[in-house]
Amino acid sequence: MHIIQWAANPWGQMVPIHIAWALIWVFAIAGLTFLIVHAIWVRYFARRQEFAGPALSPGAAAALPAKIERHSLAARLFHWVMAAAMLVLLFTAFLPKVGVRFSWVTYHWVAGLILLASIVFHIVHASFFQNFGSIWPDKSDLADARNRTLRALGRSAPPPRRFGKYPFENKLYHLIIVIAGLAVAVTGAFMLFRVETPFLARNPYILSDMTWGFVYVLHGLAGVGLIALVTVHIYFALRPEKLPITKSMIFGSISRDHFLEQHDPQRWVVSSGNAGAGPSRAD
Amino acid sequence: MPDSKQEGTAAQVPLVTADTPADKSKLVGQNYVTPDLFAKVTGQAKYAEDFRAEGMLFAKLLLSPYPHARILEIDASQALAMPGVRAVLTMKDLPPPADYMTDLGVLIKANPLGERGLAMEPLYQGEPIAAVAAVDELTAADAVEKIRVTYEPLPFVIDPLASLRPGGPNARVEGNVWGVLGPEAPVGAKRTTPVPEVREIKWTEEDFRGYDEGKMPTGTPTGEWSYGDVEGGFKNAALVLDESFQTPNTSHECLETRTSMAYWQGGKLHLFGSTQSTSQTVPAIARWMNMKPEDVVLVSEYTGGGYGSKVTSSVHLIIPAMLSKKCHAPVMMRITREDENYIGRARPSLTGRMKAGFGPDGRLLALDMFVVADNGPYDEVHDTYISGQIVSLLYQPVAMRWRGISVLTNTPPRSPQSSPGGLQGITLMEPVLAKAARRLKIDLLAIHRINAPEGKAPLGPAVDGKRAHATGCFMKEALDQGARRFQWEERRKANSGKRNGSKIRGVGVSSSSFKSGSKGFDGLFVIQPDGKMYVQSGIGNLGTEDFSDVHRVAAEMVGMPWEKVVVTWGDTSKHLPWTCISGGSQTAHAMTRAAYAAAMDAIGKLQQIAAKDHGGRPENYEVRNERVYRQGGGPVMTLAHAAQRAIALGGVYDGHELPKDINPMTVRSAKALAGRGLMGVARDNYRQDGTVFSFVASFAEVEIDVETGTYKIVDFLAVADAGRVIHPAAIGGQILGRSMLGIGHAIGQKWVFDQHLGLPVARRFYQTKPPTILDAPARMDWAALNIPDPEGPVGAKGIGEPPVPGGCCAILNAISDALGDDIFRRAPVTLDMILTSLENGHPVISGLAADI
Amino acid sequence: MAIVRESSAIIRDVMPAFELFQPTSIEEALSVLAQYGTDAWVLAGGIDSFDWLKDRIKRPKAVVDLGRIRELRGVRELAGGGVEIRAMTTLTDVVLHPAIRKSFKLLADAAESAASPQIRNQGTIGGNVSQDTRCWYYRSGFPCYRAGGNICYADTPYGMNREHAILGAARCVAVSPSDSAPAMVALEAKMLVRNSNGERAVNAEDYFIGPGFDITRMTVLKQGDILTAIRIPSAWANASFYFEKISDRPVWDFPIVNIAAAKVISGGKIRRIRLVVNGVAAHPWRLRQVEEAVTGQPADEQTGARAGELAIADAVPLQHNGFKLPLMRNLVKRAICATPA
Repeated sequence: MHIIQWAANPWGQMVPIHIAWALIWVFAIAGLTFLIVHAIWVRYFARRQEFAGPALSPGAAAALPAKIERHSLAARLFHWVMAAAMLVLLFTAFLPKVGVRFSWVTYHWVAGLILLASIVFHIVHASFFQNFGSIWPDKSDLADARNRTLRALGRSAPPPRRFGKYPFENKLYHLIIVIAGLAVAVTGAFMLFRVETPFLARNPYILSDMTWGFVYVLHGLAGVGLIALVTVHIYFALRPEKLPITKSMIFGSISRDHFLEQHDPQRWVVSSGNAGAGPSRAD
Repeated sequence: MPDSKQEGTAAQVPLVTADTPADKSKLVGQNYVTPDLFAKVTGQAKYAEDFRAEGMLFAKLLLSPYPHARILEIDASQALAMPGVRAVLTMKDLPPPADYMTDLGVLIKANPLGERGLAMEPLYQGEPIAAVAAVDELTAADAVEKIRVTYEPLPFVIDPLASLRPGGPNARVEGNVWGVLGPEAPVGAKRTTPVPEVREIKWTEEDFRGYDEGKMPTGTPTGEWSYGDVEGGFKNAALVLDESFQTPNTSHECLETRTSMAYWQGGKLHLFGSTQSTSQTVPAIARWMNMKPEDVVLVSEYTGGGYGSKVTSSVHLIIPAMLSKKCHAPVMMRITREDENYIGRARPSLTGRMKAGFGPDGRLLALDMFVVADNGPYDEVHDTYISGQIVSLLYQPVAMRWRGISVLTNTPPRSPQSSPGGLQGITLMEPVLAKAARRLKIDLLAIHRINAPEGKAPLGPAVDGKRAHATGCFMKEALDQGARRFQWEERRKANSGKRNGSKIRGVGVSSSSFKSGSKGFDGLFVIQPDGKMYVQSGIGNLGTEDFSDVHRVAAEMVGMPWEKVVVTWGDTSKHLPWTCISGGSQTAHAMTRAAYAAAMDAIGKLQQIAAKDHGGRPENYEVRNERVYRQGGGPVMTLAHAAQRAIALGGVYDGHELPKDINPMTVRSAKALAGRGLMGVARDNYRQDGTVFSFVASFAEVEIDVETGTYKIVDFLAVADAGRVIHPAAIGGQILGRSMLGIGHAIGQKWVFDQHLGLPVARRFYQTKPPTILDAPARMDWAALNIPDPEGPVGAKGIGEPPVPGGCCAILNAISDALGDDIFRRAPVTLDMILTSLENGHPVISGLAADI
Repeated sequence: MAIVRESSAIIRDVMPAFELFQPTSIEEALSVLAQYGTDAWVLAGGIDSFDWLKDRIKRPKAVVDLGRIRELRGVRELAGGGVEIRAMTTLTDVVLHPAIRKSFKLLADAAESAASPQIRNQGTIGGNVSQDTRCWYYRSGFPCYRAGGNICYADTPYGMNREHAILGAARCVAVSPSDSAPAMVALEAKMLVRNSNGERAVNAEDYFIGPGFDITRMTVLKQGDILTAIRIPSAWANASFYFEKISDRPVWDFPIVNIAAAKVISGGKIRRIRLVVNGVAAHPWRLRQVEEAVTGQPADEQTGARAGELAIADAVPLQHNGFKLPLMRNLVKRAICATPA
């Protein structure tokens, strides 16, 4: 199977024009396969999660607020706007390719613009108003991941530490979505020059045919990648053990118990004494 | 005819029209059945594509996809490995460019940057790069697709003005203009032309000021001449106009593409091609093939249109010849419409800036003309230079400056096309004249009349203190006769600007002219003992009927009934004489002179034979009615008998002794025919001081629908001053046919290029839109003045070129008569231009970008 | 520019080899189509097809010539005043058919305006309505959107788009070149489409599709479908008709804009009307808003002028086709106020 669709441009040069659309199915199936395998794994093979060391002392724990804010309103708004845009983008991009015909281009680029704007907002927001470092995997994440893997395979290894604000898988997912999302957004921004919009004159000649080919292929690869990523993301969001996290994306906070079970207060410092649901400004 | 020519004026000589009754006692001036007619209407005529030879292979061309690139590698291994594929030809297989000597003894140096037939640095999309010979066409085409070519793309330019801009791209690596002036420019006493070279000319930003408002920029030209006090003329003018206008690039669109077939036999190349000229194509092929003319046999009996694109056919003829050499088999190369569209030649677009000063009576006092030609990538076209010459003759400006530049572009190669430069020059000038008439409130016909050339009118710049002149101009007479037939005044009063619903009528007239003759060629025929006259014709049969018509002069002079005249043409193995090129409207004039010369030679010989046999002096005898008569009665000798006597006498009489001044080609042919009968053979040495021009007055009425921008031509008339009429049906066909060619330029035919891709997007007939029969005017009529040219023995003049600009400009002037000034600033005038201009109140499509 | 490129050689105007099927029944044709799938090409009169084939741009393995299927030819009068035109009926036969001339002159006029007499003798009504666009970039074999690529060459700062769309463009700005198609929409024709699952009737208005919906097709016809007939209902029989085609040449030319109108006028007022313009969009463009606005109005200059303005309210010109706006406006005006011939 070929990955890239090539065509001869007016000068007879072979240039890539887009990905082979069969990749839509490849990635959709990959996403589904992952979730099936994962579900089976969790159901039948996974061991109970164990973490190293004692949790917080009962006293210190009691000092924590009952609800611990995980996502600010701005962050949640961003997430859902982005999610809506992403879903619109995926459906408008790929449904017509698999035979569901409708006039999709305008929805697609409008959603793309919204996504682009929300990404820009997120970058600014995360860089200057949030704890920028909290989402990126660090050394201890890697060491813990190694230990968890060994233990999962039945080998002896010290138990991992509890997570910081974001579990390692969460960070990894974010990392991949950053790569795919940026690729699709940046290439998509260029592609605005090729469709009718009210604010740009159509000009396919701002890049060479070969460069455009890479833009389209990258957009396509990131796009089909996002099919799998979004599938997996939704799957995790709906998993029972992850529901507290999902709810936190709606309501903003997690319970103290969940916090104490999963998170290491040293890695995710939550200021105590501020009981109640008020913003904890901890991240 | 032996009564030589009569001097005449329009008033004395009746017009020849489609309805003129025939004088059966004469050949000249009468309609007749041409010797090719039966074959043409029954389909028996063999065009190049109809020939077959044992074991014939087929060739297909690989064309460049790039407008400009350098080829680094051609890998044909996969193609050659295919069953049925015999050979692949590339530029490396072609003979190198060779110098050649014209029949006037001028050595033309080979152009190392000239067109070669196959290219390693293609200069336009569609330029042939390689040719494949295979057992059939499909195999050859499939093989072409298997050839891998590695290109290095190079910068390109489609628009000549874009190339003249500071920092603009050049069409060739070496530059954007040719470094030497065209050959029409004074060469002086030089007998060798310089080796052409390409250089770069860029204009300044300052020169381009006004471009966005539709003013053509003017900067450094490559050619310039002037006469008179131009500035003074403008000072004294009652009206000065400064107009920019653009004419279209138009492909020749011959119905027969330039297909050719070749094989080698006994060391000789036998080539079956589609060419305008027969005799002159032989040395052209010899030059491209780098071989001796006597080793080339050309067969071209019928040609499906040329219009200047096949004067000596084109260099691509040699591809099947070289493939045939390589494969040791005959090779047929059928040229598809797609191929023809690229290699089939085209007329260059001229963009012109015309500053014209008029007196209160409409007289053109001063003209400052600047033209930029879209030259294409190869040899310099002379349309720029000719446009100035024709305008200087046709409108007789009191003072004039001409400047021009031919800019190289990466577009298909140009060649002359019916009225080369004439069409463009006149099309640049006529709208100015029409506008001046409106501004000065002078009748459109009157402003043409007052500026019309008369008598031996001068043209062009002074060379060595003397301006060239025409042999005779009857432009005014043509205008007057036309005005009468077209009922000009009544029609203008009744219809000009008349509105009926959404439709407006307009009435227009245009003057027109082109060079119409050359001289110095040979006539050759033999009267054999069977009493028949065997005429050797080296004229191409390109649809004008000259190949046969001109010999009617000789037949009438020796008193031969046409039924007993056998014309041999179209095959150079059949002993044809040296002949002018069948192009540029030269033939009717040049070859009637040659026929006259040969007939005079034969008459002299007949008189001598009669005198020898029956006594008396030769001048006591006269030739008529298939016999030689003694004046005042006495012995009579039939031409059949005289032919027998010529063979018996030998020497000059039967062609064993030949005139010293005839061309080597004629010598070879005459030698081969010697001993068959009484030979008439001579070179045309008749004196002629001026240059021969024909003139046409063209009239048109159009009806424009201002709601749709569409218009139709309701009436059209062209009246020609084309000298003595030899064959009315042929001249009528030329006048109307060539008017249609011009009308195509007015109403819709053009190129369309994508400037970014450098490629033509209009490639087929339905896109380039040459006129169809339903575009022809609802009524269309012609007439010829039939005034013999004052210089030369016969007085016939060519008519191929002159009607073309008139056809175009009568329409343009009729449109502006209906709609007023500034509706269009380029031709063709299409419905989008009319609608947009009317909608906006000013011409919006006024930019000067090429090929839009 | 020292980038070196190996290019695939392009050769045009030489038809490559393919397997030719000449079935004598629709079933037979459908089975060949099913057998070859996307490698099959349906050939009607060939006027559109041969360009594609000769230029080696479309390269089917099998060509299914419908020319020998008798049941695909002819015109039949329907009970109730309509007509059924079998898809392979030539344009000439459509033009000359007495029932069509009598009741549906609009269609006869539209068909007669197509191409040239020779082409109308060869071209079929099915082919004329189903023909592909003539966008010269697309026809050059360039990898544009319509050809499955990702670019529109016509709508660029350099694009030559005089003949292109002013309405309904969506990435692709090509237009439908059919002269008979707008008449079909105006007459509320039903297109009978057959495939291996049976026959279905599609409203002419839905038969033609735009690039927003499917950028690679002009009609609903998919691989394996054959247009078998066109049924013109009696709805507009003997109505007041107006057809006008504007093109550069009076013959052998595609429309720049054409218009087909069917009107029922009584008491000087427009009672019912269908108004369809072609050459302005990828499919015949029905002017519903205009139809609504002029219904009940007098069929005069004033109504025509307002209708013309309304017709072009949403039009978006490209660089070289702004003239199509006044042209369309004027044609709509004429179609509204033209007196019945």
